[in-house]
Amino acid sequence: MDPEAAQTARESLELAFHMSNILDTGLDRHTLSVLITLCDLGLNPEALAAVVKELRRESCSSSPMPETPSSVS
Amino acid sequence: MEEEHRVTDLIKELVLRLLSQNPQNPSSSIDTQKSLRYAIRILSSLMTPSIAPDSAAIAESIKRQLATQGKSSQALAFADLYTKFASKNGPGSIENKWAVLYLLKVISEDRKNQKSRSDSRVSSGFSASVGLPALFDAESGGYSGVSRNRETLEKGWNNGVLLVSKDPENIREIAVREFANLVKEENEVSEEVLVRDVLYACQGIDGKYVKFDKSVDGYLLRDSIKVPRATRITVQKLCELGWLFRKVKGYISESMDRFPAEDVGTVGQAFCAALQDELSHYYKLLAVLEAQSMNPIPLVSETANSGTYLSLRRLSVWFAEPMVKMRLMAVLVDKCRVLRGGAMAGAIHLHAQHGDPLVHEFMRQLLCRVCSPLFEMVRSWVLEGELEDIFAEFFVLGQPVKAESLWREGYRLHAGMLPSFISQSLAQRILRTGKSINFLRVCCEDRGWADAATEAAAAAGTTTRRGGLGYGETDALESLVIEAAKRIDKHLLDVMYKQYKFKEHCLAIKRYLLLGQGDFVQYLMDIVGPELSEPANTISSFKLAGLLESAIRSSNAQYDDRDILDRLRVKMMPHGTGDRGWDVFSLEYDARVPLNTVFTESVMARYLRIFNFLWKLRRVEHALIGAWKTMKPNCITSNSFIKLQSAVKLQLLSTLRRCQVLWDEMNHFVSNLQYYIMFEVLEVSWSNFSNEMEAAKDLDDLLAAHDKYLNSIVEKSLLGERSQNLYKTLFVLFDLILRFRSHVDRLYEGIHELQSRTMESLSPSRDKTRSRRLLNDKTAEPGAWISDGRKALTQRAGEFLRNMGQDLDAIAKEYSSLLEGFISQLPVQQHIDLKFLLFRLDFTEFYCQLHPNM
Repeated sequence: MDPEAAQTARESLELAFHMSNILDTGLDRHTLSVLITLCDLGLNPEALAAVVKELRRESCSSSPMPETPSSVS
Repeated sequence: MEEEHRVTDLIKELVLRLLSQNPQNPSSSIDTQKSLRYAIRILSSLMTPSIAPDSAAIAESIKRQLATQGKSSQALAFADLYTKFASKNGPGSIENKWAVLYLLKVISEDRKNQKSRSDSRVSSGFSASVGLPALFDAESGGYSGVSRNRETLEKGWNNGVLLVSKDPENIREIAVREFANLVKEENEVSEEVLVRDVLYACQGIDGKYVKFDKSVDGYLLRDSIKVPRATRITVQKLCELGWLFRKVKGYISESMDRFPAEDVGTVGQAFCAALQDELSHYYKLLAVLEAQSMNPIPLVSETANSGTYLSLRRLSVWFAEPMVKMRLMAVLVDKCRVLRGGAMAGAIHLHAQHGDPLVHEFMRQLLCRVCSPLFEMVRSWVLEGELEDIFAEFFVLGQPVKAESLWREGYRLHAGMLPSFISQSLAQRILRTGKSINFLRVCCEDRGWADAATEAAAAAGTTTRRGGLGYGETDALESLVIEAAKRIDKHLLDVMYKQYKFKEHCLAIKRYLLLGQGDFVQYLMDIVGPELSEPANTISSFKLAGLLESAIRSSNAQYDDRDILDRLRVKMMPHGTGDRGWDVFSLEYDARVPLNTVFTESVMARYLRIFNFLWKLRRVEHALIGAWKTMKPNCITSNSFIKLQSAVKLQLLSTLRRCQVLWDEMNHFVSNLQYYIMFEVLEVSWSNFSNEMEAAKDLDDLLAAHDKYLNSIVEKSLLGERSQNLYKTLFVLFDLILRFRSHVDRLYEGIHELQSRTMESLSPSRDKTRSRRLLNDKTAEPGAWISDGRKALTQRAGEFLRNMGQDLDAIAKEYSSLLEGFISQLPVQQHIDLKFLLFRLDFTEFYCQLHPNM
């Protein structure tokens, strides 16, 4: 990767991160970069969003009630 | 392969990062594995985003969302960031920008929803992990629609997408089944049946449950049937179409039934046909709908959807457009029930002025049909002069009249039948064009107009055959009418000028009736003068006709066209007892068809008035000239005076002198009046008329010009309404002048007799008598003269002269007071030209100074 492309990639990520903050998505920089890469690989953003949402719910709901794995069928 | 690996790695990374966000809950590797599987399942499902990939639109929607939430500064910041973000292109940048944005948007919305809903979800007793906010909301919100299916659900709610992947079929199934039962319980009648009933009602047929109710005048669902209120109202609304349909259909059948017996009119028939066409379109729609209504309505649970079933809701969408049209038709039917012909077309046209393109187009098509008979009438009227109007629908009305009044009264516009899209001026033009053709055909017996009409049609670009015009082509109609009018009017005027010699006849009327031909008038006056002094009832008009003929022969008039001279006749006006020939004599000009369109009886009556005035003026002038012949001083009369006694001689001279002065005054007045009438009234009006005749484009122009000509003569020569007083004074003056003339005659007769007596008395008895005079009373016997002595003669002469002098004085006094009155009234007159008459009469300001109060 030439330095110019790297620079652009960094700036793009920075901008996306800013937007993400404004929209209050609660994503950190690293997670965001993973998501962007996945999007660029052609994955469906709607599905990705669903994953983020579900896993988040998982992680926070599992903290008060860790004994409910059956919720995922 | 490598890429797949990379994706898996990345997903793993993602899952790890997401699960590790909760620091108090370090997730076990089993959990992680499970989550990873779950994530992969979600991602491999074939969900597609419900929106088109358009990053700008998404950015815009995010921005708006932020703005509506009151975070305008953030919205601005976001917009700024987005523009920068979008401008990053080339290697290293993010390719799938819209996907990133969409992802951010969905996540952000989701977080917001989660925050706001967490409370209600917990309290409602659902398991938090199963909670699907969308479904939950929708079902408990009392959504009563039956036509809901999965598709709409997915589209409406972003969260609903999880349904597919997670597939909590059991719970959903239960809820849906419960709902279906509920629906069945509430509705006694299934929706399919209602839909079919509504379709029946919309064809004007009573259905099983939906029937026409006379008391409310509309289709109603029977009260005994138990359905939800909402359904009842929907049915009622849909059935409005049925009510409207009944109305339109009723009108059509009513008109058709009436047709042979009563006159519905061609426009009415066209209207019915157009409505019928519209209804057949409507039937087609109904047939399609009926076919669809046979398909069962799927419940929410039934995933297999046929797509073409009909519910009441779908029906209301289907009916939206027909409803608008049907309403329009019903309104038109209401409007047109009592109207016919052009009035009907006009009323429909009023409704066509609509902003809605659908309505506009619909009305345009309808009007095209409705107006076609009307335009056909216009076409045949303008090009062929045919009034094909059996039902009195056209805005031109014809009535049978005599040929001479065909132009003025034969045809007229019927304002009620004039549709508003034809302007008044265009209608006038249409009327005149057809009228011109008829005039040419009936009065002028001319065939040349057909060529003109064909030419006009060719020029306007329409064919002369039927159906060439339609509604909305008002421009084409106008150009056709203009072309036709131009050519036919021109042709008509050509015929009038060339074949019927309109101008020559006008000139002849001016020369003979308005006494423009001086020598002819002089001869006529000389010849008929003695005859006319007789009482009116003893005069034979045949004799006068003979005199007229000889006057023509002896004047330059004999070189005039024989045709014109033949038309000149003597006319005796109805006379009472005591009328002299002067009062009843007049000339008449027989104009004949077609010129009597211009020279109608009323016009000729006005000419007659002018003639009478001018004739009187001429007679007075003639009388004054006659008086001058006797009065002018000559040596024979003046010689004899020498022998008179000085006192008598003085008296005689002064009387003669007064007489001369008075004559002079009268002559001044009459000749100036005569001059004014001839040169400032007749000739000026004629010259204006000739110019207007040249410029006239159609017969109406010509008639107007002629009217103007006649009016100006009447007004200026004091015959108008406003100058009645002046006219009366003038006639009294004329009578006075005629009286003066008879006095002068008597005076000179007396003088001549006196002279001859003097001579007589001188020759037989020259020694004793120097002169002898005699005054001539009709009673005086000639024998008395001789016996009378010279003294007596002188005495009688003195007496006679004194009497004459007194009479003259009286006349002079009356004359000057009348003239004063006449002159003082002149400046009051409205007509500017009368001021010139005053100026002419009072050129030296003699009268002005004499009567300074004037």
